[in-house]
Amino acid sequence: MPRVARSCIAWLIVGALLMTSGSPAMAAESSEATAFFESKIRPVLVQHCYQCHSAKAGKSEGGLRLDSRNAIRIGGDRGAAVVPGDSRMSVLLTAISHTDPDLKMPPKKERLPESVINDFKTWIHSGAADPREEDTANAAAPPVTIEAGRKFWAYQKPTAHTAPTTKTADWAKRELDHFILAKLNESGLSPSPDAEPATLLRRLHFDLVGLPPPSDAISAFQKRIETEGLDAALAAETDALLASPQFGERWGRHWLDVARFAESSGKEANISFPYAWRYRDYVLDAVNADLPFDRFLIEQIAGDLLPYDNDAERARLLIATGFLAIGPKNLDEMNPLQFAADIADEQLDTVMRAVMASSVACARCHDHKFDPFSMQDYYALSGVFASTKTYFGTAVSPSNRIGGDPLVLPLGADAPILHPSIGKQRVDQLKTQLASLKTEQQDRLAAAMKARRSGGDAEKEFSIRDALRIFWTSGGIEGQLKKVDESGQALPLAMGVQDQQRIVNSPLLERGEINKPGQRIPRGFPRVIEIAGSPRVPFRQSGRLEFAQWLTHRDHPLTARVMTNRVWRHLLGAGLVRTMDNFGFSGERPSHPELLDTLAVRFLADGWSIKKLVREIVLSRTYRQSSVYREDAFRTDPENRLLWRASKRRLDAEAIRDAMLVVAGELDTARPVGSLVGTMIGDRPISLIGLDPNIPADLDGSKHRSVYLPVLRDRLPDVLDLFDFAEPSLVTGDRETTNVPVQALYLMNSSFVQSRATALADRVQREADSHEQRLRHAFVLCFSRAPDAEESKLAAAFFDQNQVNNDNDPQYRKLLASYCQALLATAEFRNLD
Amino acid sequence: MKTPHSDSRSTSLISRRHVLKSCASGFGYLAFAGLAHEAAVARDGGQAPQATHFPVRAKRVIFLCMNGGPSHVDLLDYKPALNQQSGSPSPIGRGRGGAKLLGSPFRFAQRGASGLWMSEVFPELGKQADELCVINSMQTDLPNHSQAFLQMHCGSFQFVRPSVGAWTLYGLGTENTNLPGFVTINPPSDNGGARNYGSGFLPAISQGTRVGTNQIPAFYAAILRKDQEPGPPLKNIENKNLSREQQRAQLDLVRNLNRHKLERDVHHPEIEGAIESFELAFRMQDEVPDVLDLRSESESTFKLYGVGSGLPTDRFGRQCILARRLAEAGVRFIEITAPVGWDHHFLLKDELTKSCLATDRPIAALLTDLKQRGLLHDTLVVWAGEFGRTPYAQSGNGRDHNNKGYSIWMAGGGVKAGLAYGATDEFGYEAVEKPLHIHDWHATILHLLGLDHERLTFNYGGRDFRLTDVYGNVATEILA
Repeated sequence: MPRVARSCIAWLIVGALLMTSGSPAMAAESSEATAFFESKIRPVLVQHCYQCHSAKAGKSEGGLRLDSRNAIRIGGDRGAAVVPGDSRMSVLLTAISHTDPDLKMPPKKERLPESVINDFKTWIHSGAADPREEDTANAAAPPVTIEAGRKFWAYQKPTAHTAPTTKTADWAKRELDHFILAKLNESGLSPSPDAEPATLLRRLHFDLVGLPPPSDAISAFQKRIETEGLDAALAAETDALLASPQFGERWGRHWLDVARFAESSGKEANISFPYAWRYRDYVLDAVNADLPFDRFLIEQIAGDLLPYDNDAERARLLIATGFLAIGPKNLDEMNPLQFAADIADEQLDTVMRAVMASSVACARCHDHKFDPFSMQDYYALSGVFASTKTYFGTAVSPSNRIGGDPLVLPLGADAPILHPSIGKQRVDQLKTQLASLKTEQQDRLAAAMKARRSGGDAEKEFSIRDALRIFWTSGGIEGQLKKVDESGQALPLAMGVQDQQRIVNSPLLERGEINKPGQRIPRGFPRVIEIAGSPRVPFRQSGRLEFAQWLTHRDHPLTARVMTNRVWRHLLGAGLVRTMDNFGFSGERPSHPELLDTLAVRFLADGWSIKKLVREIVLSRTYRQSSVYREDAFRTDPENRLLWRASKRRLDAEAIRDAMLVVAGELDTARPVGSLVGTMIGDRPISLIGLDPNIPADLDGSKHRSVYLPVLRDRLPDVLDLFDFAEPSLVTGDRETTNVPVQALYLMNSSFVQSRATALADRVQREADSHEQRLRHAFVLCFSRAPDAEESKLAAAFFDQNQVNNDNDPQYRKLLASYCQALLATAEFRNLD
Repeated sequence: MKTPHSDSRSTSLISRRHVLKSCASGFGYLAFAGLAHEAAVARDGGQAPQATHFPVRAKRVIFLCMNGGPSHVDLLDYKPALNQQSGSPSPIGRGRGGAKLLGSPFRFAQRGASGLWMSEVFPELGKQADELCVINSMQTDLPNHSQAFLQMHCGSFQFVRPSVGAWTLYGLGTENTNLPGFVTINPPSDNGGARNYGSGFLPAISQGTRVGTNQIPAFYAAILRKDQEPGPPLKNIENKNLSREQQRAQLDLVRNLNRHKLERDVHHPEIEGAIESFELAFRMQDEVPDVLDLRSESESTFKLYGVGSGLPTDRFGRQCILARRLAEAGVRFIEITAPVGWDHHFLLKDELTKSCLATDRPIAALLTDLKQRGLLHDTLVVWAGEFGRTPYAQSGNGRDHNNKGYSIWMAGGGVKAGLAYGATDEFGYEAVEKPLHIHDWHATILHLLGLDHERLTFNYGGRDFRLTDVYGNVATEILA
């Protein structure tokens, strides 16, 4: 049954977009006309109308404001209040004349005197002179002023601070330790002792590469500590982990949380994005290459505008812009203008939250209530994205009405292609089919128009069924043709952005409504952050490159701080600013402001190197602390804001799953080409994948690392969904941690966990000879430590002693697997000390 | 200054504190003192019953979701003028100038003591007229399925927002920790899919649990001849390898290892929580299949709901019984999406009749059954689609989407029974009397649950969000 109806037909038949004209240059108005306005018109408006129709009163009844030249001409729900020279079309005159029984203004009051109404007639007739400037003055002044904003800590450039001197001279290993220790001492607290080597090694491995340490790594680490000391052993281990490709799989994923990476559109018509995985791989590679963070951002925001030496580099830079293209989209939006505005809004909001931990998007509809961002700031930035074309590569289908072009990568880059070639013959066939559909549409349309003119039944000539069939079939064919070249050869496709042909400034939309465009705002960046020497938005380009340069300018107050805070959070459990994605007035203040600034400055000085920053933190004494509970310290600082110990943390969903594969000896560390979306799901509606028996019901069935599982909005693989994966429609700097029965059910009953338990049982049976050794071996694999006496007793008691020495007894194997599953299900397996 | 996950239900703080101190799932008071409100929500999942803003009229909601947009002018909104002028050019709406008015092919009659006008295709529901509060002046923003369906569930289609069920669970907590607090039965896989029972930025625990598999979009279902996904009613509820005794032994080992670890750690809420949640999960394995198993229902119940092989009411009848069982078991918010279509662009007379035939008896039975069991007075039953349909014809014998005016009904928990509220114009096109927008409707539902839609907020990214955004007025006239 059709889900689109007449509205869709109207839209697809008319097809044309109505572009609003630019702001009218204010014609020179004579001083007499202005004087007439000032003496006869303005006082009446102020006295009788502003109460309900002005920015000052904060009211725009009926969507109408009458307090500026622009507002009165744009009008409200009923159209323009004043049309200069045309009193008939001026709704304001109708309203005050009381000629329409449904529209009598001022409401519930006597009609204004005839003389006043005549004044308005005269005024409108003579051109409605109106000296009241557009209310950008209002729009430009957020409740929190720019001046006040500039004094706020987050909008001031960070400066390095001298580390405080601390009493316990030999405790600090790194500069940051002095800041931590000083604060602890101020509160009468002392740090915790170093964690046990095995605990520390486990923490380090999970934190840096998201995997448990190999079982032989523990003794090697301990040996190294004995010979070279803990500092050297830790440094060597850290450097090895930083250099391993698994580092990017862990830390790239942190960025993908922030980048709200997903492989489907989400929202109403959830359609897959079969090329999104290229961006995922780009991020992982960039993190492994330790691409300087400023360059990393510039590539993602404006890679298409950067110079390149060869096809491979060009492809890489185009794929980077996938950052802007992978956001959630209303692919069933009826109004193309609204769709474009929503995309720009989503991109703008994502960049601001991800990079600056600021939310500007509130200013789409009103000046920001807490932060110094005005509507003018919003629409200045919005123009940058409105001048950008987004390539997302979905085809029109019965599930969605918006198709999008894919981005074609240069052929010389040799990017892997996952969809098939179709051959020249098929291309010609499709083209013929498309042409005949176009002809049919034109013919039917002409026939329908003719029928309508002659009083016949237009619907008979061009029924809704016909229209939908043509629309959907054509959309599908166009989608297929976009994936191949003229000869039917499959093209390497990606998601990304490029500048639009037409560079525009966005109009300020009253209340953010698409049909209420006001004055166009020149493209630019939020004014609360002024950076001397930052490049200006060029006339012939979108300004994305300049925006990226502005964001990554050395004087930018937020970018380095926000990223430093993100890195800190992943290593120490909470950010120095705990509201990871909100550094605004309503966000939390940093617990150690001088430390945050000093680290941010250092991050810049180290060439925006994420690896160096990670290294700096994990080699600190602070990181090395034990997580053991201390009642006295807990009473003073139960939330561990001052870091008197290492925070205990639940592992992320990916680490839990990967760790199961590792201990079972099953993890495939190779990177798969593409993802389930690229290889199997292709471009189909997510609402249908449950019918495909080849697609695993839990969307897993893989032994690759979890970072390569398909990330479908509103349809995540079970393990990610259950263990608090980052909501892929939102910028997420801080995943939540829940502890709920459905997680337990997954660990108890899912086929994934049961299979891992069986594999682990097989492994210990293979690798250890005696029953006791097997129990112990499983324990060491799972927890990087041997069982203590009590645990050994519990383990032994689990088994029926009659069966323990019979390797071939299926009951024994089953019991061993059950034991292994119990270990995988313990809290210790998924928690870090 | 609020923490990112703090909520502003200051009234609930006392009860949460009380609960944490006293109930088995909590931890000691000292621990609580150290936990930010955020952590409390994260660890107990915000699941403990919460104090409310207003007296509670309804303790739970059963939402009968009519996916597709049922035709209000053929079901609940009687329009004699439309019948009289049937066939004449439509003076209203997008049909103006082209389409013709289409009178209802169904007879209407006044039913019950209240005299509510109802269509002949609701013979059984008509007998329950005096329980219903029919709202004839509903409005939603767009006449397009996907947006309207999401707006009906989440208030917004443009942005990712929690669903009304998630807000309910977040606001009230659950009554039975052995079961999920928000259950959706056979939801559609399109029109936003899981978003419609998602938790958005609210704690994940408040998201809906799907029972039964997804329904396939009607368009594809017709082609593929499959209307739902294969799969078990609830994932991971069954262990195929271990007997219950074997699993109990396994869980004892898990619990003992966890306890041992906890003793060493002294204070470790995550492990305390894990011990508790495994025990809950073990109990859920028994309780959930019991609730889902209809075999214990009596013959007379099956008859009442129209359950029986080959009967058109069989499938929806089973779903309605299941909804009642979940309500009895203490589930806070239950949604059923009727496995029939309401999107009648064509052949309205035949198709609407079929959809009504499949749902009329089960729904009437649900109301009767709830009343008999003393549950109706504090259960809010809601019947709604995402919009209504145009009074003018489409394709000669169907109707197009209409968002400007349509009908829904509510019954039970705190609504005025036997009331027709608001009105559309003479043809049923646009709500002209007491229009009730989705935001107003959401505000009213929350009010009935004892929650103030302006105070039930969640701080995300620096802003306090509400189900009703900046809108919503409670329709006080419909409150009993």
